[in-house]
Amino acid sequence: MDSPFSINREIQMQQKIQFYTSKLKSKPEIILSIIFVAVFAFLIVVPFVQMIYTTLTYQSYDLRLERGAEEGAFTLFHYKRMFNSDLTQSLFLKPFLNSIKVGVSVTLIAMVVGSLLAWLFVRTDIPYRKFFQTIIVVPYMIPSWVIALAWQLFFQNTRTGGHAGVITSLFGLNIPDWLSYGFIPIVICLALHYYSYTFLLMSGALRTIDSELEEAGAIEGMTRSQILRKITFPLVLPALGSSFVLTVTRSMGTFGTPALLGLPVRFFTIPTQIYAMINARNMGDGFVLALVLIILAATFISINNKIIGVRKSFVTMKGKGFRSSPMKLGKLRPFLIAALVILIVCLIVFPIVMLALSTFMLLPDDYSFSNFTTHFWTGESDATISSGEPGVFKNKGIIGGIFNSIKLGVIAAVVNAFLGLLIGYTVVKNRGTKLSQLIEGIAFAPYVFPSIAFSAIYLSMFSRSVGPIPALYGTFSLMVLIVIVKNLPFSSRSGISAMLQVDKSLEETASIQGIPFVKRFRFIILPLCKSGFLSGMILTFITAMRELSLVILLVTPSTRLLTTMIFAYETQEQEQHSNAVTLILLMIIIIANVLIRVFVNRKSENTMNLG
Amino acid sequence: MKKTILFLLVVFMLFPAAVFAGGSKEKPKEGYPPEMDAWAKDAKLGIYDKDQDWDEIIEKAKQEGSVVVYASSSRIASAGAEFSKIYPEIKVESFDLGSVKTFEKTIQEQDAGLYNADIITTGGSGNYYFELLEKNRIVNFVPSTHADNISRENKDPLLVRINEAIVFMYNMENHESQPINNLWELTTEKYRGKVVIKNPLASLSNLMGIATIVQHADEMEKAYKKFSGEKLVLSEGVPDAGYEWLYRLIHNDLVILKSGGGVAKASGQKGQKNAPIAIGPLAYGASYNRNKDYVNGIMFPLEPADGVIYPTYMSIARQAPHPNAAKLFTAYLLGNPDVTSDMKIEEPYTEGESVKILQGMAPYYFAGAMSPLKTMPVAPDVKDWDKMNMWTVDPEFMWYDGPKVQDFWMKETAE
Repeated sequence: MDSPFSINREIQMQQKIQFYTSKLKSKPEIILSIIFVAVFAFLIVVPFVQMIYTTLTYQSYDLRLERGAEEGAFTLFHYKRMFNSDLTQSLFLKPFLNSIKVGVSVTLIAMVVGSLLAWLFVRTDIPYRKFFQTIIVVPYMIPSWVIALAWQLFFQNTRTGGHAGVITSLFGLNIPDWLSYGFIPIVICLALHYYSYTFLLMSGALRTIDSELEEAGAIEGMTRSQILRKITFPLVLPALGSSFVLTVTRSMGTFGTPALLGLPVRFFTIPTQIYAMINARNMGDGFVLALVLIILAATFISINNKIIGVRKSFVTMKGKGFRSSPMKLGKLRPFLIAALVILIVCLIVFPIVMLALSTFMLLPDDYSFSNFTTHFWTGESDATISSGEPGVFKNKGIIGGIFNSIKLGVIAAVVNAFLGLLIGYTVVKNRGTKLSQLIEGIAFAPYVFPSIAFSAIYLSMFSRSVGPIPALYGTFSLMVLIVIVKNLPFSSRSGISAMLQVDKSLEETASIQGIPFVKRFRFIILPLCKSGFLSGMILTFITAMRELSLVILLVTPSTRLLTTMIFAYETQEQEQHSNAVTLILLMIIIIANVLIRVFVNRKSENTMNLG
Repeated sequence: MKKTILFLLVVFMLFPAAVFAGGSKEKPKEGYPPEMDAWAKDAKLGIYDKDQDWDEIIEKAKQEGSVVVYASSSRIASAGAEFSKIYPEIKVESFDLGSVKTFEKTIQEQDAGLYNADIITTGGSGNYYFELLEKNRIVNFVPSTHADNISRENKDPLLVRINEAIVFMYNMENHESQPINNLWELTTEKYRGKVVIKNPLASLSNLMGIATIVQHADEMEKAYKKFSGEKLVLSEGVPDAGYEWLYRLIHNDLVILKSGGGVAKASGQKGQKNAPIAIGPLAYGASYNRNKDYVNGIMFPLEPADGVIYPTYMSIARQAPHPNAAKLFTAYLLGNPDVTSDMKIEEPYTEGESVKILQGMAPYYFAGAMSPLKTMPVAPDVKDWDKMNMWTVDPEFMWYDGPKVQDFWMKETAE
């Protein structure tokens, strides 16, 4: 690409088509917009429309409630049931309010925790920063139900039978139900899981702020809190907005933790209702509630856009010199380090150790030494244990599963990170236009699309060839495709917030000099957005590796993933096996995370030098 | 947002042909659709299933080389591994999907014109009967080698692979004998917050359990009379005694748990002071006593019934690509046709002589499952099965009334 020959050829090519494209060429965002709209229409809007269609017609489940109805005929049956019947209160209203309560509470806590941590690691002289930064996102890699299990282990009371939790058994305290189950524990467990969004996005944003800006404020005589409010806060607002949108919609849409901690006290949320309905193959009702989630998410996005859109977006990434001086923590330092260590022990060490320990115990909850076994890792098949399932390392499927999961994660991470930036570029360059809002909105839709519905629709869409696309059903490509689409919201959010900080003039300068878009992207935008790009990639990798509902209908024995194996073990309630595979998955994610950081850091240093 | 909606409407109008062309919903017709008819004729299945020639089946099965199973259970895989030892030419590919996804995958694939599955085996009586059998998505196949050894209700209209049960369990450390004799006792103050149940909305088998109790409203009403000596007075808006029992149970602070294992643990774990009563799968009650050292006792006799039997069916999928391998594996999963009730089956069940007799039943033999074969020696976990008075799930009631029971459950538990 750098050879003069290829540049010459490109210039020739350009001259040929310059006449037709001179206007468009200087605005690649227009071409990109058109491509995105077309592709999204097919990959996102079509399934969405099909979902709406399902809610407006009788499904085979409904014929059982309304005899004489005809399958496929138009009806408002589902909307009446959900919003205007004696079931409204219990099927929709209460779970809806619970979801909002959970979503907002989780988000507030997660944003405070995530922002504080980001500030601590980016802007202060806290020691071992690299180490802390890497380990502090681990709770996001641990499935959220593992934290919920750890909660149960400590705070469970006698309501659910079996052995009570540590606190009750050791101190004889009977813990009230509200602390054992329901709203409070759900919010705490989810907040401790989802703070990573804010942390990652805020670290990215804070890192790109030139601390001279803040110092300038200090010279002008502003107090610390004034600097924070008047300078720092407005600068990180886009990142905060993205964190808010991601966290609130995700925590409202999450299923595992509310199912585990909510059920014993009947604390239902929209996702637990959707799950119950789809489980009964009652798609019509389930999709109506899914649409409720989508509308809620759309509302949050538009609120976010209103708040951030009315202000001028602040550009911090300029071509000029850049420095950042860490704030001295002084006396607070030991306390903060201690708090961090406690947080890490509670959130990371303890759940992982518990998970690991459980895989070495023949009988659960029996901590005696004689109960210790390595059977679930290395044992040959023994019919009396776990219905004859051999240890995970003796399991042939596992090697294939590891390989497939990594392949899926890597492809999705790379593709999504690039797509995210391109979407970010398109949206930001077109900012203020309807087109920009449209792309931003549609790219976000898959986030709240119930995975199981999404995959069912993809299954039927891609079972035959559609135009140039061959029949993808049963192939690995289809799993990759659906994971990429489902992760677009992450990547587009981080792409948008990264692009918002890039000074337009940098690229415009290059553009005036006739440097083609691909090069501008490669040598100007990409290096400037490195941290946003990186966090987008890590987020996608983690989610792709952990994806289950989305792929379970699409897997074949040769495309089996670690998560589908965990699912199989879980349904058979072979908890040691499922925990062992979870642990393997976790280790891969953590190792990969560290590798990506190291690799990309070194790579991008080279790029910077080249640029 | 307005623009977005407008845009969606445009797409809605432009795309319908592309979107909905694939979802052509075939209505059940007399006889089979043409391609299915050709397949059935060729494979000698369904209405063409006469005089099974097992030498021919085995020969063809070996040529087919593999069999694809969609199942609600992972144990099929271990049965498949044993099967492949006998027939190394035939590879068993089993998909462990759980009941709901087994239906979803089968139906979605077939609607899209894909016929990948050979054998479907799952519970969920209503869906199985009305969404698969009635709509010609499967054909019932009973191997002639086993047919006489299976009672009518276990093979007609659908072959049953195993029967399992939802039962009532208590902690034998806390109680010398079963603490209740009548299901209505669970609705009294004494058991407020002291009954746990596996979430009926989490899988089809649990819903079948409570729905079948609701179905037997007359028996429930009589049982109430026996219990209190008085006539049952229904709560407001509750239609009958079956629903009334469920209503009172739910409003007696019934504790809902996520998993069958959790339920067995709740009532069965040792060292508790006042363990709850558990309503859940017999599989966990029985096998966890042995595997996890729990002390669950299964209660019987109870008024008016001791539990609910729910079958796991097994059939050959429409236009199965490997119909003969499917037939052969179906026969294998049922067990050795020469099994007699006096045979001694010893642990380990999945090895040596035992697995030769049990064959595909081996992985289920120690998991609270009952074979449909009349002469299959009774497994220790289900030794009292024949003494227990249990109701069996009715596919028709599940199909037409299941949704009402589910609505009732969702409404009452959320209040």
